[in-house]
Amino acid sequence: MKKKVLALLLSTTMIAGLVGCGGKSDAGTGTNDNAASNAPADNSSASSNASTDNASGTDASAIDTSEHVVITYMTTGETPTGTKERYDEMMTELNKILTEKCNAELQTYFISWTDYLSNYNLTLAQMDGTVDLVGTASDWLDAWPNSKNGAFLELTEDMLKTYAPQTWASVPAENWELCKYNGDIYLIPEDNYAQWTNHGFIYRLDWAKAAGLSDGVKSWEDLTTYFKYVKETYPDIIPWDSDGTQYAQMAGGWIASHSDYVPIDGINSAAMWGGTRDDLYTVYSPFVTDTDSLVEFAKMMKEWNDIGVWQTDVLNNTSSTNRDDYRVGKVAAEQHHTQTWTDLVSHTPANTIYADDPNAETGFFYFGQETGNVTALSITHGAMAVSAGSKNPERALMVYDLLRNDPECYKLFCYGLEGVSYEITDDGLRTTPASYNQDTDNINGTTNYWWGRNDDLEIKDASRDWDKIDALYSEYDKVKIEYPYGQFVADVDNIRSQISNINEINTNYMKQIAFGKYNGSAEDIVAEYQAALKAAGIDEVTAELQRQFDALYK
Amino acid sequence: MGKAKAQLPKRKSDLTFFQKVKRSRVLLLMCLPAVIFFLAFSYAPMPGIWVAFVKYNYRDGIFGSQFIGLDNFKFLATSGKLFSLTKNTILYNLAFIILGNFLAVFVAILLNEMRSKWFKKVSQTIMFLPYFISQVLVGILVFNLLNYDTGFVNGILTSLGMERWEPYSDPSVWPPILIIVYLWQQTGYNSVVYFAAIMGIDGEMMEAAKVDGANGFQRIRYIILPSLKPTIVILLLFALGGIVKGNFGLFYNIVGTNPMLFGTTDIIETYVYRATINDFNFSTASAVGLYQSLIGFIIVMTVNFIVKKIEPDYSLF
Repeated sequence: MKKKVLALLLSTTMIAGLVGCGGKSDAGTGTNDNAASNAPADNSSASSNASTDNASGTDASAIDTSEHVVITYMTTGETPTGTKERYDEMMTELNKILTEKCNAELQTYFISWTDYLSNYNLTLAQMDGTVDLVGTASDWLDAWPNSKNGAFLELTEDMLKTYAPQTWASVPAENWELCKYNGDIYLIPEDNYAQWTNHGFIYRLDWAKAAGLSDGVKSWEDLTTYFKYVKETYPDIIPWDSDGTQYAQMAGGWIASHSDYVPIDGINSAAMWGGTRDDLYTVYSPFVTDTDSLVEFAKMMKEWNDIGVWQTDVLNNTSSTNRDDYRVGKVAAEQHHTQTWTDLVSHTPANTIYADDPNAETGFFYFGQETGNVTALSITHGAMAVSAGSKNPERALMVYDLLRNDPECYKLFCYGLEGVSYEITDDGLRTTPASYNQDTDNINGTTNYWWGRNDDLEIKDASRDWDKIDALYSEYDKVKIEYPYGQFVADVDNIRSQISNINEINTNYMKQIAFGKYNGSAEDIVAEYQAALKAAGIDEVTAELQRQFDALYK
Repeated sequence: MGKAKAQLPKRKSDLTFFQKVKRSRVLLLMCLPAVIFFLAFSYAPMPGIWVAFVKYNYRDGIFGSQFIGLDNFKFLATSGKLFSLTKNTILYNLAFIILGNFLAVFVAILLNEMRSKWFKKVSQTIMFLPYFISQVLVGILVFNLLNYDTGFVNGILTSLGMERWEPYSDPSVWPPILIIVYLWQQTGYNSVVYFAAIMGIDGEMMEAAKVDGANGFQRIRYIILPSLKPTIVILLLFALGGIVKGNFGLFYNIVGTNPMLFGTTDIIETYVYRATINDFNFSTASAVGLYQSLIGFIIVMTVNFIVKKIEPDYSLF
């Protein structure tokens, strides 16, 4: 009988709990709804009303900054430990200026690199004002999914004009167009900063020459020659100590080098859909159509695996330190983008290969070099958004405007204190002072301000080998096309489950193909891969994307 | 006369609800922490199941987002892998449950038979220790033991002049490896429950058996094992509830994302993690969780029903 009493008690409390909880969450959604409809632009139908309200309410002269607020900026990167002291000093200086100019101070919310995407999205999902300014990117930080999920605030023209006037004036109208989803601006693009993040292989040019490649590596076949030579001549060196995550870049790189494929960013991480340079708006997936090319890829990677380019258990290798190994000459290649090459090619103190071996040179084979297939970076590869949970979006925009356009703030935030973290040489380049210690004084690598860099204020880094870098940039400029799909934000709601399954299939098969770790013939594994993609509905996804393309571009 | 009546113990069914509560107040008080725990962590979040049926959007919240029915479940169904994933998950869990419990009972009996108190404590501690090692570390340990280029096992094999072994390219060796790792980690912990149950067996029975001339094996066979039967059945029933919930930590840290091994090592959790990590979809993940809980619920109800038919005393409820 005691059992019965207990059961009764349990069930009553249970019901009470359920009821209480349900009530509470109802109330919660109620307030949420209110908040949403009070927001400047709730949805497309309400946006016109809301923005007119806003226009009347905000006048440039009437900005009220009487209340001192703290603006939190979210960035990917590690919380400073070694550089904490310098970082704090810099922030104190910066906050003095910010307090004076807009009565706000800045603090940083760091998203550590381990599982950064999950933690980034989780932090955004909190929506409790934890963060105000959010560094984001349409291709690698889910800018569009978060805009759709309601994590970002719609930025009306009036808000931008009033609170970020310099930024508003400096970004051309066509670039604002590329930051819109459903007619509302969500992102402030980093569109005045020259950089290239197309991938390729960074390699030892001196060794390539010794291997008989007098002009350096110009194709994937040359890489095979190069790796063979390295393995035979330097048995202690792992040619490329890759980890198992590089498969997507390799497959994409192979396709860029063997076709005119131009991928669409942001649909899945392997960028499996796109057009061609001649016919940009007909969607296809080379992973399904270019069978012969993929078979060739599978064969070559098997050959690389047999040569011993990477470690045998590369697929379980998650802790590769390949880039730092390259700096000290323990490996012979690194797969990454042009920005990384600009670092590795330069004779910086960290790159000890150049001090150890006066003949050492670093070359770069970029994917697409054979066919001249290079696409410039999308302007939303770096962008700033304002969290929809922010309590002070206006002030956040004011702070951003200063960080992006005020020389004093910009230099502090990007480079640190002059004389401590950097110095300016006589010819106007940026160098490090004599007392500089990379581990404690490096602010540039601490604040990770990649969401509003500005070439008007940038000071070139003196340690970089600008002759080589400018030469490559001008080579790119000759062949490049601008990223053509900036305006396209795919609506994947109807094809989400197909894309999830395709991601999974691509990961499983492409890892085996790209590291030559398959059993049986190359033809078989590619056929199996393509059959699995078809079964998962890749054709439906292509058709749906084509439909959305037609609606936008035709 | 009134006094005499009051002293007569009332039949429980005659008591009002509050009298019953009053009478059992100490027991109820002792239950309270557990009740609060389950309310806070199991019942309060329950309405959140709704997220599995909506197109979740941060601003509108769980209950404000658009209702889309079973669309979130589509992804599992269309993957074409639902069957093989469920099968792997269930088979691994069956192996874990059966071998795990068998070994735990075995170890508990061994511990019980040990005469040296010192040796008993030391061996119990050593067996218990792996339980406290983080799965991440276990994964690294296994990788350092087995990897091809620098692994410990291959170091020994090559120094003995034998061929190198390549387990990270051979899916067939992983079921035993995973089971061994699991048993190594969990047996010490699991045996504690059985050991405690053995401790609770009435000493008089053992004495009597001894006097009657039963040897050690007979005592185990006819006294200890039958006394453990209810504990075993209840623990099995509990374990069956989680039979479609895979041990993500174990599988993900040991197998990682090596697709060559997925044929024999892929379970629902690891698949869902990989497929949805890119698009950060709460709804799909909850849909999968709900699917697993539902199957677990059905299995527990069925098994409990069968147990009740055979041996009503052993059933959970």
